Amino acid sequence: MKYRNEQLRDALASEYALGTLQGRARRRFERSLKDDPQLRALVTRWQDRLAPLDAAGQPIQPPARVWRTTQERIQTGRHRGGLWSSLPFWRTVGLAGIAGALTLALLLATLPPTRHGPETMVVVMSDAEANPAMTVSWPMQQRGQPRMRIRVMGHPEMASGTAWELWLLLGGEQKPVSLGLIGTEAMQELTVPRSVVPMMDRAYGLAMSIEPSGGSPTGQPTGPVLYKGQCVLM
Amino acid sequence: MPDNDAIAELMARCALRDQRAFAELYRLTSAKLYGVAIRILRREDWAEEVLQESFVNIWNHIAEYSATRSAPMTWMTAIVRNRALDWLRRPNLERGDEDYDLLVESLPDQGPGPDVVLGHGRDAAALAECLRQLSGDQRQTIMLAYAHGLSHGELAQHLKQPLGTVKTWIRRGLERLKGCMDGRS
Repeated sequence: MKYRNEQLRDALASEYALGTLQGRARRRFERSLKDDPQLRALVTRWQDRLAPLDAAGQPIQPPARVWRTTQERIQTGRHRGGLWSSLPFWRTVGLAGIAGALTLALLLATLPPTRHGPETMVVVMSDAEANPAMTVSWPMQQRGQPRMRIRVMGHPEMASGTAWELWLLLGGEQKPVSLGLIGTEAMQELTVPRSVVPMMDRAYGLAMSIEPSGGSPTGQPTGPVLYKGQCVLM
Repeated sequence: MPDNDAIAELMARCALRDQRAFAELYRLTSAKLYGVAIRILRREDWAEEVLQESFVNIWNHIAEYSATRSAPMTWMTAIVRNRALDWLRRPNLERGDEDYDLLVESLPDQGPGPDVVLGHGRDAAALAECLRQLSGDQRQTIMLAYAHGLSHGELAQHLKQPLGTVKTWIRRGLERLKGCMDGRS
């Protein structure tokens, strides 16, 4: 079900964040959240507004057994799913794993320190076997068109007559947005197109597809996706 | 309140599957989050289960955090709150409600401008100031609902007011809160 009226949407988001939206209405609202990023943004705003109320409550130390069980469960990778586990993006994008962690550590070593500067968005893009193949990073909260720093690992070859096109993924049901064509060189830069800049705040991940030379004729990925990865804010 | 910068850094490491960072994240935040769960569920066994589920969920979905643009504690608290509220709506589940009346009595009185202590920082000051501008009924209902996960029906029962009245307090209170807070930012 779609909630179209803006005032109603915000009222529902507020009562969802407050906790008074319960029972069937809550379940219906959660189903809508999955493919409505704007609605998720309204909920996030309300969670931010109400969050200081949590600071009023006393912390209570949980028994040690809670940590032991939690640790066992994350080590065995056993999980029962839940509210967030069915977001469409997560069906297709996996984590890069240990190899990705190493790559990211290398990449971070090349970035300027970010503790007091602007935040940096980092994407480790992996191939189908979850091996890291490419990293992309760009500064957040910057005026104008951010420049993406791209590192391509290994020495991949591009078949003649084809091009590599980089796509911004916005999550939910939204279509990928083209960021432009890239090459196979180890170090490159790509300026975010002006029309895409307003969407960078909502970046969820990146994907790179193989397209005919000159890029996708349709404005959407037409060839196989070679690399993909999710955004991590540093 | 744990330091948000330190937590953000730990979360970035967790996104790269660093289990030691996760242990540290748990150490820094679990008491805060267990408190949130206890206040909503009011049973330790349930709160333990919800806390464990929440941390597994946090671990599995930590890379999604960056897309939400909220403070790290807010994101984690929202997961715990949702889990706890989900738990409460399981069928055939009854919370004992013998201490609700005590709870209601212990709330600040409904006169204008009680001191609401909400931690530090600009956001907390804005929320506290805006809560003060609500009517006592609106403020009390909203704070009670948030802290203890009470439904409209439970609020009506324990505040001894008609359901429609309680719903209106909440709806109008939230609208005013939003107007006030957006006006200050």
